[in-house]
Amino acid sequence: MMGRVVATERKPNTPHEFHFWTALDSPVGIGTIVRVEGSTAVGGQVPRIYGVVVEGFSYTDLQSPLHDVMGHDGAPGNHAMSSTERAEIRLYTAHVLRQIPEEPLQPVPMGSVFLADDADVAVALRMDGYLREGESTGIPIGIYRAGGTEAAIHLDADFLLGPEAAHLNITGVSGLATKTSAVEWVMQSIFTHFPASKGSVAALCFNVKGPDLCFLDKPGILDHADRAIYEKCGVPAGPFENVQYYAPYKSDGFSLNTLRSNEALLDNVTPLTWGLREVLQYAEVLLNKDDVDAKADAMIDFIKENVLDRPFSDPMLERTHTVTSFADLEQWFRDVLRALEKKDDQSWRTHHVATIRKVRNRLSNISTRCKGLVADDGAVSDLPFGTFQDRTVYVVDIASVEEDAQDLIFARVVTRLREHLERRDLGVNHVVVFVDELNKYAPSDGADTYVRKMLLDLAERGRYLGLVLFSAQQFRSQVHRRVVGNSGTSLFGRMDADELATPGYAVLSPATRTKLSTLEKGQLMVRHPHFTQPIFVRFPRPAIMRGRDGAELYPQATDVTLEHAVTRSLRALDPSVTLAWVQDTIIMHEPEAVLKARNATVRARPDDVRAFFRSQFRPTVSGKAAQRPAAPAVLRTTPADDPYGF
Amino acid sequence: MSEQLDHSFRGAQRALAAALPPGAMLDRGGALELAALNPSEAPRLIAATLVEGGSMRRHQVGEPVAQFAAFLDGTQVSRVMTYRDAVPVVHGTVAAVVRERRDRRMGTWGRPIVRHRLYVPRALVPAAFWERLESTGLEISDTSDAADGSGTPHPFALRDAAIHRVQKDRERAEHELAEQWCGSESRPLFVDGGISGSAVAQSSCAVGVVKSHRTLYVEGADLVTVLALGEGERSSVLRITSPRRTTVASWYLRLRDASGRDPLWGLVRVEMKAEDDASAGEVGHRADEISRWILAETSPVSLPDARWDKMVYGIRDCEEFLKVIQ
Ligand SMILES: Nc1ncnc2c1ncn2[C@@H]1O[C@H](COP(=O)(O)OP(=O)(O)OP(=O)(O)O)[C@@H](O)[C@H]1O
Ligand SMILES: [Mg+2]
Repeated sequence: MMGRVVATERKPNTPHEFHFWTALDSPVGIGTIVRVEGSTAVGGQVPRIYGVVVEGFSYTDLQSPLHDVMGHDGAPGNHAMSSTERAEIRLYTAHVLRQIPEEPLQPVPMGSVFLADDADVAVALRMDGYLREGESTGIPIGIYRAGGTEAAIHLDADFLLGPEAAHLNITGVSGLATKTSAVEWVMQSIFTHFPASKGSVAALCFNVKGPDLCFLDKPGILDHADRAIYEKCGVPAGPFENVQYYAPYKSDGFSLNTLRSNEALLDNVTPLTWGLREVLQYAEVLLNKDDVDAKADAMIDFIKENVLDRPFSDPMLERTHTVTSFADLEQWFRDVLRALEKKDDQSWRTHHVATIRKVRNRLSNISTRCKGLVADDGAVSDLPFGTFQDRTVYVVDIASVEEDAQDLIFARVVTRLREHLERRDLGVNHVVVFVDELNKYAPSDGADTYVRKMLLDLAERGRYLGLVLFSAQQFRSQVHRRVVGNSGTSLFGRMDADELATPGYAVLSPATRTKLSTLEKGQLMVRHPHFTQPIFVRFPRPAIMRGRDGAELYPQATDVTLEHAVTRSLRALDPSVTLAWVQDTIIMHEPEAVLKARNATVRARPDDVRAFFRSQFRPTVSGKAAQRPAAPAVLRTTPADDPYGF
Repeated sequence: MSEQLDHSFRGAQRALAAALPPGAMLDRGGALELAALNPSEAPRLIAATLVEGGSMRRHQVGEPVAQFAAFLDGTQVSRVMTYRDAVPVVHGTVAAVVRERRDRRMGTWGRPIVRHRLYVPRALVPAAFWERLESTGLEISDTSDAADGSGTPHPFALRDAAIHRVQKDRERAEHELAEQWCGSESRPLFVDGGISGSAVAQSSCAVGVVKSHRTLYVEGADLVTVLALGEGERSSVLRITSPRRTTVASWYLRLRDASGRDPLWGLVRVEMKAEDDASAGEVGHRADEISRWILAETSPVSLPDARWDKMVYGIRDCEEFLKVIQ
């Protein structure tokens, strides 16, 4: 026995709160889970109450500090070796996690207090309901440790990935809260423990910050304590086995815009390039910011429906246009505007010339701002919508692309996921979408952007579809309330005192807030629908190379020449391709044509790479081949010792 | 299993209310000790024999040393429950405890004593009433001998008699515990109050420390010397004898600096076993040693107790403990 329940008129027990005292050396602390054994049976059953300690008090029989001053004659050093310690108490307040029986709900009775053991923790957190042998939906989130107890804490997959509830949000200060690490760990745990009966699950992560998520398939450094937690939680202490990276090109159109550009790591990096069609479909993502009116909207719709991807002719125009790329579209606009000028007309097919000019401006802006993502030749290299694989992480690296391009990628990827999940043809049943720095994409104040609306929709309806949002931010108070509010599970790492002072945290006791503001790395406070109170857990370092270690070990490829870039791409398909051969082949051609040929070759993955590539330069062969690629087959690696085979 | 009879004040109230006619019980009785005991005896001076040196002197006792292993104190509470005609029925509770110091913290040694009784002069109440009281099963102490036989005395006199009987019971409880301690321990016990009434006055394990000075055992110039004792000084050792008590060695000791206070402030009288065959030097040496032990107990202070100048923390701890259990 560790303590005794006490209640006084001034500090009575209630159905949700009770008090107990312990010996001075008892291992109780804020967050400790305890069990109370009542002494009087109610309805034939002796009540058992589980609680979590939220506040502690300590005092002596000293009635006034002045008495101590008098006792020491005003000199703190006097009688320093007092032969007796004053009578002293450790008094704790606990919040009820669970009462058994649950009815009638009564104030917590007097009783004996025990440290909760493994089994108690499971009952207290109602985990017994979803950890049943053979039909468990438990996803370990970490371990709870107190006194001699060490218990794995499980979340319920039905409440983490739908359909009952879904989503996970994590808050905490930069660097100390281990937010990104915690999400990586939870995803590893999900991949290990997500029950087969619930189907397949994949993760799609947007890398928004430096090298954070660039090395998910490389092992990290763990210590003994970390390994023990992996063991206890039954999660293999290794990196993700299946990871696919996607990154747009830089504005040069041939170097990948990612920190994972080292040659040794390119085998699972796929360029992300979209054509005009993909961009126009999501034009409103970018255009609504620029205050595009209904007339402009109508103009864009007209282009989407009548101009894009089909021969367009008009008696007024010089020629028939088949628009498949931004370059084609520009030609078309020029033709239209020239014709209007010639006729000195103010409108064409109900569209005013000013509107036409404005739309042309806006769209050409997009193609500049999103250069690298938007292929001028209309070529598409996309995520494998339709063939997503179970237990695979898809990382879309948008860390170094412009804000507009980020928004566009975000909006299109999430919308596509949603559409496919609605049609049940994504390839997997569940996708976890991880968005770091959520406050940037779904801020509590500011304009109602397309991206924010999309995240809101995801938070509110995603759980029925298996589309789950995992998000992180430093300050929860700066994120739109309904986005975090819909998150069934919330994690909190080390918190900033100012953030803790915001109204959202008022429900926490001062001691719990103090604990949150001093949490060490690897400790989290967890809120989950089954837990009636927040619980503190420990989790291990992710078994993944840290971003900055990876960036050091695998330095970024220096920007290469066009010849090098093409050689590298083709060598991935056919190791016999040499730089000299490429130089010879492209010497007579414009860079655009070379890239177009390279893109076509990479998409087609022909048996005879050299012949196919060479054939692209023949004027008779159309460069248009923009079919959506199948699932990215794992490309062969270039030998590390001879990257180019010069 | 039948419920055990509850002898505490509340339990006794219930038992009596059931046995007596409706309305007989007093609504609430305040503790009599607060009202009665204090000014009972007149202050007096009694000279005692000096056993250390030829004249009363002040002695520096030296640096405090913590040596006491335990502290003993007892408490009492009496309340009038009802009057039968002019005769009070008093309920008394006495309690005593030894609190032992282990690793600088106080804990209970052995079993504390708690006793509840009714105190009633049988000779002054009707036999039927006495029987009614007895029928409750409560323990009753007959205080008839307090009446002088000349009719019914003043109710307050009966009440005071009851309180003194309770006091005797308390002393008995204290002595029992002191004797238990000395029977099984050789480490020194700090006893609140004198030890001359107890068998432990014959053993060297118990030291009595008296806080009240209604009787002072010095006169004349010696009294002046005693009242002039400075902090950490003791008087020469005296021998105190009284007819029904054991002779003890005793001296005065000033626990705290009394400048600017009344002359008895911080002054205690210590009692220990009288060592008949010890030399004056030995006696003085022993008194110094014990005084140093007592001085070590002046911290932590026993505030907010009004007697904090003389009461050591270990004794306050006993009293707080007894408040809870009695
Ligand atoms: N379980 C753990 N135990 C101890 N240290 C850890 C643990 N998990 C992560 N760390 C360390 O904590 C540091 C910060 O982790 P992380 O990058 O996840 O924090 P963050 O909250 O995402 O920071 P930021 O807000 O800057 O993105 C890293 O150096 C990481 O190695
Ligand atoms: Mg981070």
